[in-house]
Amino acid sequence: MRGADYVIKRTAFAVLTVFVALTINFALFRLAPGSAVSNLSRVPHATQELRQALKRQFGLDKSKGAQYVLYLKQLVHGNLGISFENQQPVSHNLWIALKNTLPMVLVGTLFAIVLGTLTGVIAAWRRGTLAESATVTTALSFYSMPTHWLGLMLVILFTGILPTGGMSNDFLINPSFWTHIRDVASHMVLPSLTLGLVLYGEYTLIVRSAMLETLGEDYILTARAKGLTPWTIIRKHALRNAMLPIVTLVALSLGYIVAGAILIETVFSWPGIGRAVYDAVLQRDYPMLQGAFLLLTVSVVFFNLLADLLYFKLDPRITS
Amino acid sequence: MSALLELVDLHVWFELDGGRELHAVRGVSLSIERGERLGLVGESGCGKTTTALSILGLLPPNASVSGRVLLDGVDVLAGGEETIRQRRWVDVAIVFQGAMNALNPVRTIGSQIVEALELHQLAKGAAARRRAAELLEQVGIPGDRAERFPHELSGGMRQRAAIAMALSCNPRVLIADEPTTALDVMVQAQILELLDALSRDFGLALILVTHDLPVVAQLCDRGAVMYAGEIVETAGVEALYHTPRHPYTRLLFAATPDLDGARSDIASIPGAPPRLDRPLQGCPFLPRCDSAFAPCATLRPELRVVGDAHAAACHLNGVPALTEA
Amino acid sequence: MSVVLNEPGLAVEGEPVRSRGGFVWRTVRRRPSATVGATLLLLVLLGAGLAPWVAPYPLHQQVGPVFGHPSWSHPLGLDDGGIDMVTLLMWGARISLVVGFAATLVSMLIGGSIGLLAGYFGGRTDVVLMRITDYFLVIPDVPLMIVVAAIWGPSLFHIVIVIGILLWTSTARVIRAQVKSVRERVYVKRARSLGAGHTRILVRHVVPQVAPLLIANTVLTIAVAIFDETALSFLGLGDPSRTSLGKIIENAFQRAAISSGAWWAIVPPGALVAVIILGCSLLGGALEDALNPRLRVAHLSARTFRLRPLVGRSAESI
Repeated sequence: MRGADYVIKRTAFAVLTVFVALTINFALFRLAPGSAVSNLSRVPHATQELRQALKRQFGLDKSKGAQYVLYLKQLVHGNLGISFENQQPVSHNLWIALKNTLPMVLVGTLFAIVLGTLTGVIAAWRRGTLAESATVTTALSFYSMPTHWLGLMLVILFTGILPTGGMSNDFLINPSFWTHIRDVASHMVLPSLTLGLVLYGEYTLIVRSAMLETLGEDYILTARAKGLTPWTIIRKHALRNAMLPIVTLVALSLGYIVAGAILIETVFSWPGIGRAVYDAVLQRDYPMLQGAFLLLTVSVVFFNLLADLLYFKLDPRITS
Repeated sequence: MSALLELVDLHVWFELDGGRELHAVRGVSLSIERGERLGLVGESGCGKTTTALSILGLLPPNASVSGRVLLDGVDVLAGGEETIRQRRWVDVAIVFQGAMNALNPVRTIGSQIVEALELHQLAKGAAARRRAAELLEQVGIPGDRAERFPHELSGGMRQRAAIAMALSCNPRVLIADEPTTALDVMVQAQILELLDALSRDFGLALILVTHDLPVVAQLCDRGAVMYAGEIVETAGVEALYHTPRHPYTRLLFAATPDLDGARSDIASIPGAPPRLDRPLQGCPFLPRCDSAFAPCATLRPELRVVGDAHAAACHLNGVPALTEA
Repeated sequence: MSVVLNEPGLAVEGEPVRSRGGFVWRTVRRRPSATVGATLLLLVLLGAGLAPWVAPYPLHQQVGPVFGHPSWSHPLGLDDGGIDMVTLLMWGARISLVVGFAATLVSMLIGGSIGLLAGYFGGRTDVVLMRITDYFLVIPDVPLMIVVAAIWGPSLFHIVIVIGILLWTSTARVIRAQVKSVRERVYVKRARSLGAGHTRILVRHVVPQVAPLLIANTVLTIAVAIFDETALSFLGLGDPSRTSLGKIIENAFQRAAISSGAWWAIVPPGALVAVIILGCSLLGGALEDALNPRLRVAHLSARTFRLRPLVGRSAESI
């Protein structure tokens, strides 16, 4: 297989980075001063058995070195401790939160990618005209807006027209499947739109920049000399090549979106990962905090790896 | 008999920062007959590439053009980009400098040739792929390389592939812009031989744009020497070398030690070409000329016939006593 | 061609970067995006800097009802404490800008030094430093800032450090690349052969060449730093004793400004942050572009070349 060693190298690096992230996570939470942080067994209202079980699992009375080993062991089993707040396993809480975040983030990102690519191509194509300046200025303006502020603005604009809080209407009793879907969808519009608008600006600039770079390449002149129409040249020559940096940058940004969703979920009370982090901070729910942080870090590493592999797949020039 | 391709008083300007303009091509007129091989020579910045690109209308957005480009007597420049686009590649094709990224790096060579064939409706699908392989064989590349990407080929092979692609729609004129620059000597010779053979076999007219004089001597019948956006002399290759009628041509060819041997560069004439963003007064070559005299500073020399199929733009030709024999 | 064409109507004659301050001023004069960006920033800096003297009302004095409506005497209304919004914005901008600059300074010092050392010494130093940078790059900044601020406690100083510690990675990379290319230049090699020490070379030769890029990067980092401060304040992790622009938004949000219909408590502070970030992005982006030697003319664009009427000069053709 072409460049098998490239894939292996990048994956190995990703695994190593995850490992380092795990260690940093451990250091941050277990070694920080204050027994509340390092003591995972201090679950409020927990039974004595639970506390003992946690102590055993995480070796909280042993040395730091032994704790680290046990920490890794527990991670492999998916055991992240028990949430202080609701006495549920952290992994369970996180899983639910993740399931809530992903659709919202995906819709917003898709919107941003589509709109950003469209406006980016237009801006590059209409270089030096008013259309370009207008497109770029709009994109920059949205890019400059603080995420949470944009969310609040949308709330102000759409109060009464669209739901502005939560993921579903608590007053719906036993809704049918489709009613429930429509309900969630209507709640998802504003948070996804916020994410989409914040991201699209950045993507416009990325796409425009990549396209301009590509449009200055010699093979574009060759394509033009062959008699191809401008639209064909853009589709089959320019975009094909511009895709490489675009895909890389977009994949990289995906890792941070989940983190940036914190602000949006706080504004819209969306019960996702970001909100979980925020609540955990407020409630000093350290096991949740630690688990969420770990999850976010791993997701960034994952998306970076994805970006690497995608680039490798798209560019035939990379052989090893 | 009307010429195959004719340039009549071509001017090209480029917009510059602050509203200034660069007058890059200043009234160039040329004509090419069927099967003729013309060398367009000059140093970097003299406007030869821009002139060549203008034939196909391949100018950037900040360019403006005036003059006529007559193909079979029809002005192809008059309709602007969209009109020219329809006539590209079928009548006139171009091959760029070998060092350039002239082939799309993420598509196979074969697919790029097929694209030209299908666009101009010469073949489709499997037939097009077969034809592409044939074309590659014609230029000395094994047909199975059609599945390869440009970076998998050597510089010389890439240049041949570009030539194959240029010939795919059976053009009558092939423009080669610095086809041998950045290739090593052995490969250069092969490419020149290839162009020679193709031109003879297919009756192809060649416009060879280069700063490399031995190449012109080897391959071309006629040469046109450009300086500061103008043609300063045009004649048969032998006449250019043995009886140049412009000091620039004379100095150029004198600077080349051996016409049939090692290549040399034109940088050996001291001084630099004039700036083209200002109006020029008198002869543009004046600062570097070794034979300048009274009229040169104020009067612009016009391209005048000075012999059999020989024209030059120099005041010396108007003074019988000073003309070199 | 002796002239390199990049944008329509823009030709650069390959000028080398000479003086630093001159470079910034020239870019601001030449490129409209830089002019706009610099003007925006200047206006904000003036408003914030002159706040103690120019603010219309005292900062901590209630001058009307909670969430008072905008009126002639209070063009932007009053906040949840009855304080004039315009005054609040001017003072808030001071805090936000200070945090932004300070955090950027921290980040520049770390990132610049690492980039400098990695690029200049190369070899193992480079590999080690870049590995560290890669790991830092991977950590998602907002969550880490939240965690550290939560554990460490909110104070202006902590916020500055936390933000600075996460922003340095992109600077390090950019500076490293530039230092590497500068290192290969002739005069550096000559200085080495003349026996100049590393410090001398770094200070006299490398830093001046890298400075313009550092400036561009600094301006762009300030934008991110200010955004981060706003985000942290919004999440309740900002310094409670100082009212930055982010804090103003957070206060309004917590005190249900929206349901009270008091949009003026939310929209202006965020808009001001957006203006600052926009200004920095425009200026920093223009500076970066000016340093970028990859100037090319587009071979394809909606605009095509223009035709002019035939010029009168007759020509003979052979």
